[in-house]
Amino acid sequence: MDENKNFIEEPIKSIYVSTLFRDQKENLKLELIAGEEGLKLRKLVTPDINRPGLALAGFTQEFPKERIQILGSTEISYLKTLSATQRKNAINNVVSFTPPCLIIANELTPPEGLVALANKYKVPVFKSALETTQLIHMLTTYLDYKLAPETYLHGDLVDVYGVGLLLVGESGIGKSECALDLVERGHRLVADDLIKVLKRSEVVIIGFSAAKSPKLKHHIEIRGVGIVDIYALYGIRAIRMQKRIEVQVELVRYTKDLDYERVGIEDKYTEILGVKIPLVQIPVIPGKNLALVCEVIAKNYLLKILGYSPAKSFNEELVRLMTQKNIEEAKIDPWIDYDIE
Amino acid sequence: MIQEKIIIKNEVGLHARPAAQFVKIAEKYQSKVRLCKNGVWVNGKSVLGILTLAAEHGSEVILEVSGPDELEAFNELKKILEAE
Repeated sequence: MDENKNFIEEPIKSIYVSTLFRDQKENLKLELIAGEEGLKLRKLVTPDINRPGLALAGFTQEFPKERIQILGSTEISYLKTLSATQRKNAINNVVSFTPPCLIIANELTPPEGLVALANKYKVPVFKSALETTQLIHMLTTYLDYKLAPETYLHGDLVDVYGVGLLLVGESGIGKSECALDLVERGHRLVADDLIKVLKRSEVVIIGFSAAKSPKLKHHIEIRGVGIVDIYALYGIRAIRMQKRIEVQVELVRYTKDLDYERVGIEDKYTEILGVKIPLVQIPVIPGKNLALVCEVIAKNYLLKILGYSPAKSFNEELVRLMTQKNIEEAKIDPWIDYDIE
Repeated sequence: MIQEKIIIKNEVGLHARPAAQFVKIAEKYQSKVRLCKNGVWVNGKSVLGILTLAAEHGSEVILEVSGPDELEAFNELKKILEAE
């Protein structure tokens, strides 16, 4: 099967420096001191940052010009030791690469000549009241979040016993009805139909509703009825804003040749944004209670996290029995002597 | 109806993997499939039923297939039971 068939798009992410300034002005205690023209010109494409010490000293090979350049006390003190001309050259080494922006940490005084050069090259320069390490840490966290790879999926995302189940399957197979049934059973809906997925780390993907306004979230389309509002129908306990996607449940139209799992020893996986997650394929047969099956999938997943795989344990015990001698004579039901009805 | 005694040749017996394979094949056919060990008959299309037999290496089971496609079904299922 095509594992990525429910993917819609995967845009390359970047944000303007003006967005960083707008979002993090208070948090990072930023003050714009030069290069205002560059705010809507320069883009951030990576969460990595750079300390431009080597470039200031004249070594500009492989200079990471796409990164935010952080000037801490080391860089500022070094620039102070230079003559006016040397300092101008040193700053020019960095600024002429037109990095997205420069941030001076620790509320240090900007070196002489920086403002003029930054304005010339239209490179925004900020001053931050934060200590260098803290600034870098908070900045990276923010950029990691803003620049995280994202994609959009079709399906339903429901929190079932704390496990994020992503229901996928062809149109009209009953994903939304299954989600509604799960909500009825006390579980929480994250999103129906279009789900935005964000990669938060190499192993974590978070899903949430792609709806642009909170009032548009948590609606489900039920065929024959139309759009229903889950929050209005079931209240606050029935909704969730975001959830880590932990298991993909694929509803598959049942056919005679469909190869579905009978034992559960071999785990299947799929990938979303490069993150491997377990895949469970459920054949949809009339009269089958899908929500009940989803609950079992979630609980089985929780057991597996704790290291207990029911199917594997079952098989191990079976193999142990079958490989011991005189299997028929073995007393395998010791309890039955004490439980005569 | 075809009925035949078969000796299990799998090293550890009829465990989960071969049983799952057996059930998948059995389900392809319309015929009714049954397995018997020591007088206990189970449905050949139920994996848990087959596993409950705990048919170890060297044990004897009876494979019974009856229905319109019994011959093909029987031959295919017999191969799985006799696989090493």
